Amino acid sequence: MRRTRPWGLIFMLFITACSGGTGSGDYHIIYSYETETVTEELPEDQRKYTIGVVPKVKEIMYFLIAQDGAYEAGADLGVNVIYDGPPIADVSRQIKVILELIDQGVDALAVSANDPEKLLPVLQEAKRKGIKVLTWDADTLPEGRDLFVNMVDPEVLGRHLLDTLAWHMGEQGDYAILTSTLSASNQNEWIKWMSIQQQDYYPKMNLVTIAETYDDPQKAYEAAKQLLQDHPGLQGIIGIASVAPPAAAQAVKEAGQSGTIKVVGLSTPNLMADFLLDGSAQMATLWSPKKLGYLTVALAVQLLDGQMPYDGQEIRNIGNIRVKGDMVIMGEPLDFTAENVSQYDF
Amino acid sequence: MISRWLFRIPSWKNKLSTRLIVFYCMLTVIPISLLGAVSYMQYTRSIVEQIGEYMPRFLSLANDNIAFHMQEFSELPSLLFNSDRVLSILRHDAYQSRSTLNQEQFVVNSYLARTYLDSGSPDIIGVFLFSKNRLFYSSRLDFTGLDDSNALMPYGQDLELGGEAKILLPDEFPLAFVNSPPYLLIMKQIQDVDNRKSLGTMLIAVQLTFIDNILRHFDHNDQADLWLMDGAGKIIYHTDEQYIGTVDTELARYPLRNGSFRRGGGKDEWIISLSTSGVTDWILAHSIPLKILTEKTDRARNVIILLFFCIVLITSLLAVSYAIKFTRPITKLSRLMRQVEAGRFYVNLEIESRDEVGILARSFNSMMKTIRELIQKNFEIKLRQKEAELYALQSQINPHFMYNTLETINMAVEDGKSRTVVEMVTLLGRMLRFSLSNRSRCVRIRDEVQHMRDFLMIQKIRFSNRLMFDITLKGDIESCYTPKFILQPIVENAVKYGLNTRKILHINVSIGKELGARSGKEDIVFRIRDDGPGIPEEKLEQLEQSLRSDVPVARDSEFGLSNVNARIMLMLGPEYGLELHSVYGQGTEVVIRIPMITELEMAELTEKLGGDAHGEIQGINRG
Repeated sequence: MRRTRPWGLIFMLFITACSGGTGSGDYHIIYSYETETVTEELPEDQRKYTIGVVPKVKEIMYFLIAQDGAYEAGADLGVNVIYDGPPIADVSRQIKVILELIDQGVDALAVSANDPEKLLPVLQEAKRKGIKVLTWDADTLPEGRDLFVNMVDPEVLGRHLLDTLAWHMGEQGDYAILTSTLSASNQNEWIKWMSIQQQDYYPKMNLVTIAETYDDPQKAYEAAKQLLQDHPGLQGIIGIASVAPPAAAQAVKEAGQSGTIKVVGLSTPNLMADFLLDGSAQMATLWSPKKLGYLTVALAVQLLDGQMPYDGQEIRNIGNIRVKGDMVIMGEPLDFTAENVSQYDF
Repeated sequence: MISRWLFRIPSWKNKLSTRLIVFYCMLTVIPISLLGAVSYMQYTRSIVEQIGEYMPRFLSLANDNIAFHMQEFSELPSLLFNSDRVLSILRHDAYQSRSTLNQEQFVVNSYLARTYLDSGSPDIIGVFLFSKNRLFYSSRLDFTGLDDSNALMPYGQDLELGGEAKILLPDEFPLAFVNSPPYLLIMKQIQDVDNRKSLGTMLIAVQLTFIDNILRHFDHNDQADLWLMDGAGKIIYHTDEQYIGTVDTELARYPLRNGSFRRGGGKDEWIISLSTSGVTDWILAHSIPLKILTEKTDRARNVIILLFFCIVLITSLLAVSYAIKFTRPITKLSRLMRQVEAGRFYVNLEIESRDEVGILARSFNSMMKTIRELIQKNFEIKLRQKEAELYALQSQINPHFMYNTLETINMAVEDGKSRTVVEMVTLLGRMLRFSLSNRSRCVRIRDEVQHMRDFLMIQKIRFSNRLMFDITLKGDIESCYTPKFILQPIVENAVKYGLNTRKILHINVSIGKELGARSGKEDIVFRIRDDGPGIPEEKLEQLEQSLRSDVPVARDSEFGLSNVNARIMLMLGPEYGLELHSVYGQGTEVVIRIPMITELEMAELTEKLGGDAHGEIQGINRG
């Protein structure tokens, strides 16, 4: 008996060895490179971001449309959006609005600046409180913000605006510019590129004056009328505040000079549709303010998540963006004419 | 009985040869089998591990490639924005005149055909665009199931995709192409980013050939399967087309999503590798039966097993033959031992080898030789002793002596010497009693001397005083023992030779203790001296020779002396015995030397000489 035991053991060993040691379970992991799927699950109690979006003026069409876009993005991305601005395009009123938003404890501020310098202290204070600050539509000096969300490349826009006017004016004659305020940085940038374009290609054209509209339809209308009065030989007006082209068109129309004095500029299709169709304005150029509002909020959220935008990045529901330094460029300008103006609803 | 039981033939289990065979087999069979089994297992495992490690990587690459393609396909709808005309048509309301509607349909359809079918990927088989209850399309193949009345059933107009592309499988959508090629539908909402409105939904039907092209690079085996499924296990693509559209029910039980594992066991074991795309969440899976991977190894294993059995067979044969060869001399030895046990001592183990077994055999042979010699020696000594004792018994009362004594008695009766007759008869009677009643080999010195004295007295009477003798006993030795019948033959001899030549013969017997040079103890010494003729020198030498040698001598006159000597030596040891001193013409002295045997020593001696001595002592005591 004693002798049989080792033989039995050996036999068992042999059998086990030959059968390759198969286990009984169904699945055996051989190799795994499960990359610890960092399911970036947000902590349960993470509060939603609150983003304050401040336009130059609250109640004009352009910023109302932008508000729609901002709220749309807030709904899409699951963040709170507070869209609040001054009743008139005034720096001190705007600062007040910003301070109120800071008090409400916003996580990020997106400001369309009425003045590039005067807003700096309040924006820097916001920054000190850990609030991410970005500008949209109208920029401040770079110290005031982390990012500027620009609609279009200022060079492209400035040159294009002058081109449209030149094409309608036959590349010669006097023209005037209606801007928002003389301190508005965006407008000044565009004006710079317009004059460069004119010097480059259109020597027979002549800029007679730059008038302010203060982003107020009424003031714009008055400024336009004054312009026609002061410069009887005027052949073209470029409005580079959204209230300017309709006001100019209205003034031209009332002066009975529809088609004689060409009106182009930045404005929304809805404001311009009537003037474009009756010939008192030739072309409006703009971007989608909705898209801009949307993009601003989307980028603010991204900034709060700690990511800077990069060139060529695709923002959902927007498309690809371009980035130049700390400036984001949303896309190309849209031209609205009598033919296509009905396609747009802003 | 016990020895029979101990030395019985061992059972096969206990046999040395069996043990040797078992041991040798264990030394060869076990290591070889273990080595083979372990290396096979290791090799199989390493193959499995290699496949398990590399397959998911290949799959991951392929999956990324597929995801990249899918990404590209889902970018395609944005090409619509390239055409302002198309965009303006899509932004229009549908409520227009039929001709305008048809005109616009023509514009959009031809744009779709130009953009998606005529250029771009050949995998696209059809593009469908639903916008405000209008259907625009362009397709390479005829299709059924879609028209503007059922547009987007079951998905409805305002589905919320959030800008993401959705992948639809053919069975999720009522679209059917002729020839039913395997395809996927990529559905994407067309978003008017400027107006922030949905313009419609675009469906792109993509043939699965692009997956074929990607997966073609895999080393494909008929029994291996490759399939692509979405996160819920719905199979999008399968190398076996019939599975496309079904659900992999086992997905939930797969232990991981990236990596490899074994499924099942035994002969139906599969290795399954999975890779999950981080982009599309699609799982690319590859499964292959383990037996295909290990086919070559299995063949090698079979060869090894065959070789293994050959080697085992050969080594076993060698082991058996060696064990037999090794144990054969031992078996032979044990057989011879049994013969020896049975009493046959004339055996010889013929083994020539020089190893331990040879040494054993030689020792055995030499031992047998010694045993034989010892047996012979003891046997012969015993024989001679018995013979000597027999002779002594025979010669105790010599018939000649009897006749002569009776003749003397007769003459005395005739002469009327009645006193002499009485004396002689008394003497003779005592002598006869001594001889007959006492069967012991040893007697007290007192009795032995008395017997000699009786003999001498009878002779003295017979030869009427021609014989003179005196006996002196020194020391307290009368009750010591001596071998029986050692003195009478000596004096008989002296009388026989002395009276032939001398007129008067003197015999002097002295008995005493002396320190023996050879024994180193106090011995008892009998000195029998006569003034007879002596023994010529030649004769003396011859006699001394015969006393010293073991060779039995003939029963001649000298036999008396050598018989006494032999009996003493055999009984008491070689240091005792008989010495002869003689001067020719002057006389002879015989010296008998024995150890001092007290009653106590007598008992020891009796024991040594054997059981029969006991009775003799009893007899002595009685005497």
